[in-house]
Amino acid sequence: MKSKGIWSLNFSTIVIALIPIAVAINYLGKVIIETLKLPLWLDSIGTVISSMLAGPLIGAFTGLINNIIYGFTLSPISFVYAITSVVIGLGVGVMAHKGWIASISKAIVIGLVVGLLAAIVSTPLNIMFWEGTTGNVWGDAFYLYLESIGMPQWVASFGDSVVVDVPDKVITVVIGYLIYQSLPKNLIRLFNNNNEIEKL
Amino acid sequence: MEPIHSYTDKKSYIDQIDPISKLLFAFVSIFITYLFSSIPITCFVLLISIVLLMVGRVLRKIVPLLAISFTLLLSIIIVQGLTHPTNEMPLLTLGTIVFYQEGLTFALLITLRVFNMLAAFGVLILTTKPDDLMESLMKQGMSPKISYVFLSVFQLIPQMRATLGKITDAQRSRGMETEGSLMIRIKAFFPLLGPAVLSSLNMTKERAIALEVRGFSSKGKKTFISEEKSYFYPKFVRCGLIILLIAAIVWRIVG
Repeated sequence: MKSKGIWSLNFSTIVIALIPIAVAINYLGKVIIETLKLPLWLDSIGTVISSMLAGPLIGAFTGLINNIIYGFTLSPISFVYAITSVVIGLGVGVMAHKGWIASISKAIVIGLVVGLLAAIVSTPLNIMFWEGTTGNVWGDAFYLYLESIGMPQWVASFGDSVVVDVPDKVITVVIGYLIYQSLPKNLIRLFNNNNEIEKL
Repeated sequence: MEPIHSYTDKKSYIDQIDPISKLLFAFVSIFITYLFSSIPITCFVLLISIVLLMVGRVLRKIVPLLAISFTLLLSIIIVQGLTHPTNEMPLLTLGTIVFYQEGLTFALLITLRVFNMLAAFGVLILTTKPDDLMESLMKQGMSPKISYVFLSVFQLIPQMRATLGKITDAQRSRGMETEGSLMIRIKAFFPLLGPAVLSSLNMTKERAIALEVRGFSSKGKKTFISEEKSYFYPKFVRCGLIILLIAAIVWRIVG
């Protein structure tokens, strides 16, 4: 079973049970941020954890389901960013399974890479749907600054997304990593060799 | 426990339309507003969505959805008013800041599109019970596993929000502060998130066993426990929407 590698899309029962819990963790992150009034989103902690546990495809699937559920409950705008969530799940999953979750400093690297990926994917969406802005005060202020010094729209929009996404994703991945580290080993093993029954 | 979805049973005519048609309506409606860069057409499409919301008696419930998108819309208006490439005609001057007519017109178009996106999806999500949508999709051949994932999120979130409430109370009672300076609030983040996440991840194993015990991964054909609702001519409505979509595309190419 292990030879199937990180790209196996294995919807075993434990994975099916994990996905809704991961989506709910995303939601909890958001709720805690709102209660404490912190200036971040941190609404993809669950996606990050599910990528670390069950691989990139399951992480991507978690991201997709997450945005669809948000779209149905909180704001239809989040349907637009479903692709971004998918990319976050894929990015974290691939890097985690290539051995990048060994230490905090490596987790920060994952966060930087995933934050940039998220910005790259969000930029065309932002341009297509709302001409480049993100609705985040800091990001949009940066957008105005870049436009005012004569940058083309896509550069300004990319800058807008980077300012917003990179710090948020670095913190998200570090939190995800700290939680992953403190999980009991028998829980992690359930996902490592799922469906594999050892015979005596 | 308070449910997270926004559906309430109003027994209106819109409830008689099948969920997949409403989903299709949302996509067709949004697609048309992006297909034509025209304010009158976008207004017209938005008007249809609003009328449907009124018929469904849920117009007032769209307001919280609009409120969430408020900052996005505000930033679109400011940024386009100031920097849109075709800006020529100054419309409004505040000190040294000049808003241009072209940019603001363009911002109006985008704002209308966003309103329509919210209203069109509002027609679906405010008048459809998530269970009914999932059941319709399963009958169209969607895997019951995916449907389980969606529906259990709706069930889990209120449950986990209650757990989080308990954890917050417990941590406060041992002296943790959740209000005050930024540093105090950052410090409160981990004691709240950690236990909530660990306890929920521990649930995965129990939930997986519970599913297996009920034969969730058996290969047999799944049957439905609830009686099928009868909807208003589903095939007719869907065909109508698809014809409308094709007509719009043809009109855009020809016109």
